[in-house]
Amino acid sequence: MRSLRIVAVFCGLICFLSATSNGDNWPGWRGPNRNGVTSDAGVPTTWSATENVLWKMPLPGIGTSNPVVWGDKVFVTASEGRDQGELHVICFDRNSGRERWHQRLWGTAPTLFYGRSGMASPSPVTDGQRLFAFFGTGDVFCFDLDGGLLWQRAIADEYGPFENRFAAASSPLLFEDKLIVQCDHYGASYVIALDQQTGANRWKSDRPEVWLSWSSPQLVPSGDRVELVLSGSEKLDGYDPRTGSRLWTVRGLARECVPTPVVGHGMLFVVSGPNGTHFAIKPGGSGDITDSHVVWKNDKGTSFVPSAILVGERYYLADDKGIGSCLDAHTGKLIWKRRFGDKFTASPVSADGKLFFTNEAGSTLVLDATQASYEEVARNDIGEEVYASPAISQGKFFVRTAKNLVCVGIK
Amino acid sequence: MTWIAGCLMLVGLTALDPPYDPAPHLAVIAKTGPQGEGSVAAKVARDELAKHGIEVLPQLLVAMDTSNAVAANWYRTVYEEIVARELARDETKWPIEFFKEYVSDAKRVGRPRRLVLGLLDKLEPAFREKWLPTRLDDAEFRYEAVGLALAAGDRAAKDKDQSAAKTEFRKAFEAARDSTQVTQAAAKLKSLGESADTVQHLGLVTEWWLAGPFDAPKKTGFAKVFEPEEQVDLQTKYRGQDGAELTWKRHHETDTLGQLDLNKQLGTTREAVGYAYSEIDVPREQAAQVRCGADDNCSVWLNGQKVFGRDQWLNGTRFDRFITPIQLKAGRNTLLVKVCQGPQHKDPEVPNNWSLQLRLCDEQGRGITFKTIESGR
Repeated sequence: MRSLRIVAVFCGLICFLSATSNGDNWPGWRGPNRNGVTSDAGVPTTWSATENVLWKMPLPGIGTSNPVVWGDKVFVTASEGRDQGELHVICFDRNSGRERWHQRLWGTAPTLFYGRSGMASPSPVTDGQRLFAFFGTGDVFCFDLDGGLLWQRAIADEYGPFENRFAAASSPLLFEDKLIVQCDHYGASYVIALDQQTGANRWKSDRPEVWLSWSSPQLVPSGDRVELVLSGSEKLDGYDPRTGSRLWTVRGLARECVPTPVVGHGMLFVVSGPNGTHFAIKPGGSGDITDSHVVWKNDKGTSFVPSAILVGERYYLADDKGIGSCLDAHTGKLIWKRRFGDKFTASPVSADGKLFFTNEAGSTLVLDATQASYEEVARNDIGEEVYASPAISQGKFFVRTAKNLVCVGIK
Repeated sequence: MTWIAGCLMLVGLTALDPPYDPAPHLAVIAKTGPQGEGSVAAKVARDELAKHGIEVLPQLLVAMDTSNAVAANWYRTVYEEIVARELARDETKWPIEFFKEYVSDAKRVGRPRRLVLGLLDKLEPAFREKWLPTRLDDAEFRYEAVGLALAAGDRAAKDKDQSAAKTEFRKAFEAARDSTQVTQAAAKLKSLGESADTVQHLGLVTEWWLAGPFDAPKKTGFAKVFEPEEQVDLQTKYRGQDGAELTWKRHHETDTLGQLDLNKQLGTTREAVGYAYSEIDVPREQAAQVRCGADDNCSVWLNGQKVFGRDQWLNGTRFDRFITPIQLKAGRNTLLVKVCQGPQHKDPEVPNNWSLQLRLCDEQGRGITFKTIESGR
């Protein structure tokens, strides 16, 4: 009896270690640091539609939200129906792909939408206790990790329907005890902070001067404070994430912004396009800091949809048309430029010294990020179209294709 | 002996328990609202409701017939849980007739009706095929029913049965409210030699008097009041952009969806304002909607009262983009529309559209009946 107990404890320990030790979770849009980069190791660099595919599960609708991984759970959102008002939040088992729970909900105010993403462009986010899912219908849902609904906000019902020709796509972020959602559209735009426990407003900051954008908010440390950064409507705005008061503005972005800024080396790296400009900006200051805080600019090779990625001293981007470029993060000078092939919607990710660029045809180009020169490691075709950004967690590469969720790992 | 008696008493008490009444728990969920209000209590109520089975579904579905979107989703989580559990059992006695009545009641909110139709697909797969074609006047299922009528017409046309094809296409045309289906049905009828007036069907305003361009630099046009907003006199001459003399010009729009291109009618320009004016005669006082879209933006006055205006730029004309309830009086009604044209996009390849589409319809999207008054003639 005693030996049985020891075996059980040992097995439990093995299970716990396998669930927690092999790198990071991927808790929201673009991973643990909201920049596509994880410290995860052991991620496969080669796969195909069959090779190194651990499991593959069909999805009930469309969406470009990235999979979110926490422990042994993988969360995905999707939408379907004529107006894409049927919303899905699904939890899969990370190890087997088995569906653990599936919540079906109504979107309260569907809008026009993009045929590839429907109402499920924003990625959900989790703190390991709750999962927050925002949809293009203007609904925010909060669940416990077993799928129990805790609260819902129909913010488009409360503050007016989103006027958005491709449906809202901004992925919310967690800051302290708040969930922050950027709601830029043709109507009355705003950024809103909801209480994670109750869903009630903590603050709401109106943005009457802005119009449609699909970019996601970002947080950046600046001295002894943290700043909330929103791009959209030809500018980048810094806010106090505790109060929602506006701190500073940088002018010069594109009219409609999609990429999410990334943070590193004490700077913000912002891209918007096409035919736009890359900016490296020092956060901080107040008022219009365009002339005082822009460190460098580069107006070549900007993207409309994909976000950029910062790995070490280099800043990489694949634009929508498939042109990849690498800039020096400190100067903005071009290091190399290559045609990657096909178009890109997904944003790149990085782990284990590798960069992963997945194009719309479903081919992932793997590059060696430790080299300053262009060093191709592999090209892996998953065999299906891909518009969502991948996730990396615990040695696995999760690809949301147009129809399936695929878990890639070393068998 | 005492133990046996105790058990019997317990069984007896249990048997006497009144059946579960879901009403109090449903009422708790009904109180959920903005700001996440009522969520904690709703979660408790939801969990209690979900412990029960098929017997709570009728009351649950009645509760789901609500415009409270937040409460509806709480109810739905209960519905999904109970239905999934009951579907896994073989012996469930589903209230099929209640479901059929519920799904057929067009006065109920559409969302839960559609949910029940999905359940009926599993319980009685033949139901949808027979039922759906009958829903041509049902706002929730009209689109699918019209689609079936169009498909039936196509099949008849393929079989060279022109009479049946005409009947199906006419049925589709009369029932359709979606502009794409309206134009599809009209085109099919016309291909068979039948007439179909999309303009009248959708209530599109296509008879206009136009004046412009008025000068409005730096996006001032939306707020600036030009003379036509103070009074419309079709004989008046105005001073327009670059000092040009402007008069009202009669225009009949021939586009099948009433899309008016002001660049063509008033001249290609930028940073300007144009006006479109119409007078219509309606047979009776009625509630209606004005549905419009414009590039860059529009403001609408009905009988001299501003009923719509949205200060937006570079956003494109889209069918039915803006919907505003209005009250039309019997007889003559005047419509004045102001359409702003902004500066050229910084990318010279982006076309600088200047356009308007406007229609008058009921809340289901069927055009109201009106005649244009030939003012100024």
